Amino acid sequence: MDIAGVADFDKSMARIDAWYQSQILDRPPVRFMAHNAFLQQASEDISQLSSADRRAWWFDVETQVGLFAKSVEGRRFYGETFPVFFPNLGPEVYAAFYGAELVFGEVTSWSVPLIGDWQDMDRLAFDRNNIYFRKLEELTKCALERSQGRFMVGYTDLHPGIDCAAAWRDPQQLCLDLFDAPEQVKRLTQIAIDDFVEIYDHFDAMLKASGQLSVSWMGLPSRGKMHIPSADFSSLISPDFFKEFVLPVHRQELGGMTHNVYHVDGKGVARHMDDIIGLGDVHAVQWVQGVGDDQPIMQWLPLIKGLQQQGMPVIVDLNKKELPQFIEAMSPEGIFLWVAADDEEEEQRLLKLVEGWR
Amino acid sequence: MKAELELIFEAILDGNMPGCTSGVQAALDAGISAPDILQIALIPAMDEVGKLFEEEEFFVPEMLVAARAMQAGLSMLKPLLVDSDVKPAGRVALGTVSGDLHDIGKNLVGMMLEGAGFEIVDLGTNVAPDRFIAAINDQNVQLVAMSALLTTTMPGMKKTVDAIAAAGLRDQVKIMVGGAPVNAEYAAEIGADGYAPDASQAASLARRLAP
Ligand code: B12
Repeated sequence: MDIAGVADFDKSMARIDAWYQSQILDRPPVRFMAHNAFLQQASEDISQLSSADRRAWWFDVETQVGLFAKSVEGRRFYGETFPVFFPNLGPEVYAAFYGAELVFGEVTSWSVPLIGDWQDMDRLAFDRNNIYFRKLEELTKCALERSQGRFMVGYTDLHPGIDCAAAWRDPQQLCLDLFDAPEQVKRLTQIAIDDFVEIYDHFDAMLKASGQLSVSWMGLPSRGKMHIPSADFSSLISPDFFKEFVLPVHRQELGGMTHNVYHVDGKGVARHMDDIIGLGDVHAVQWVQGVGDDQPIMQWLPLIKGLQQQGMPVIVDLNKKELPQFIEAMSPEGIFLWVAADDEEEEQRLLKLVEGWR
Repeated sequence: MKAELELIFEAILDGNMPGCTSGVQAALDAGISAPDILQIALIPAMDEVGKLFEEEEFFVPEMLVAARAMQAGLSMLKPLLVDSDVKPAGRVALGTVSGDLHDIGKNLVGMMLEGAGFEIVDLGTNVAPDRFIAAINDQNVQLVAMSALLTTTMPGMKKTVDAIAAAGLRDQVKIMVGGAPVNAEYAAEIGADGYAPDASQAASLARRLAP
């Protein structure tokens, strides 16, 4: 695959393929990018728009693809960093496929809960004519048309299962439901997973038909099917509830994927790490350390080393100032680094540092 | 602890709301005073809930059902407490700052503070500085408690502290802050009076800060 600004895509991909196997080709893979960069990255100032105009802006396919194409034009990408457009309507779009409304902010969106009464569950149905589903198709098509040789196209951020149930019901209410109505919660999460494979395969087929790899917001491609399972809601609950309400849904979600890279969002989710790995179908973990007292990265070395010892590849997102110390304290097996750098020169300098990591 | 109070204590820990209300009724019927029920059963039960949360024995759902049971009992006691000479530990204006809609943590803080004997003026989410100021002016609060879950909304805390100072009200209130991205260093930097990492420690902090 040839992509403008990427010096040797195949070599980079070989590094990633080795990493999926917990092996190292010549150095561990590195991606240059700030986590949650999307929070700062509104590429146009839409803060003054009315909520209707803001929604229209998100829905404007030409604008979205155009802005992205412009943002990668003439840029060079170092390490395992690739220009990837993924159609994005926010992390709760999966809930919106079934009728939840999305409210659009400047850099993300969130959904309005719609299950007040358990009977409302009967109204939940996946509809291919759903406006959000259709819009994602349009975004994907438009991006595919414009991508040739310029950037990769991925699929959107899909959160089925418990996070979708939390979006439908409201997260705090769902916490109470775990005690008050466990069977209804199970029914709800089952609805939130029933059509997942169909939905995933639909976008996967669109991408593969155009010769794309499988890739999403992580910018981490796979030649098979790459998926990013997650359950942010699980940061709120006990390991027992995780086993009861989350694991059964994950089992249905993970089978059939070539590469599941589990998004472990902070220490609240890490509490369930043994169960997550115990699923068997998790091929790698993305560790998100959080902010405030959850930084710096050094306090998480035991967790990262634990994963390493189990042969579980792990993405570590760290600050460039932490990098020398991290490299000093850790061996490189199974590590994929995500680092935010200021400019291309710095990226090259950091890459040199990683090349010497033994 | 008397058997009736013991039952209330246990019901709260179990998140058993009917158990808590029937326990409170039984205690009242047995002639135990409302202040005693509050001080000997409700508040210690919430202290225990907070402790279990800190120790990761309890998580958010366990805490929510416990607080719900406690609140049901408390609402039965409230009319009786007004007639007694029990003074609330203080009045707290509580809210999530501008632009931020996360409120689970804030709600837990409110419940623990209530469990610790404070009165809560819940301003909700997306609370701009002038609404905190209005609460100080109109609702006679001694404490302001702000929550933020987004790095992008944290600056709203500093804006609020500054606005309270600019309104000449800084001496009238103590300000506490919290939420996942916040830490003690940040609290000090923006001139808040205190920070706590979780809802249970928020209650102890409020006890320390209250006049
Ligand atoms: C649930 C959740 C939501 C729910 C909120 C539902 C609700 N009613 O609150 C929904 C889905 C709506 C949501 C939306 C968003 N969210 Co959100 N959300 C979370 C999640 C999973 C859990 C937060 C939570 O409730 N924790 C449990 C409570 C109990 O913990 P807590 O709030 O920290 O509170 C405790 C302490 O901090 C302390 N405390 C809290 N307040 C106070 C106050 C005082 C005075 C004191 C002393 C103590 C104190 O006591 C509490 C109890 O112990 C986190 C991920 C995570 N792992 O934390 C993301 C997270 C906070 N969200 C995030 C983001 C980005 C968003 C969105 C922007 C994007 C999106 N679409 O998801 C929107 C923003 C909407 C908005 N404008 O606010 C990010 C923030 C990243 C950052 N660096 O800023 C997080 C960290 C996820 C992530 N890693 O990306 N979210």
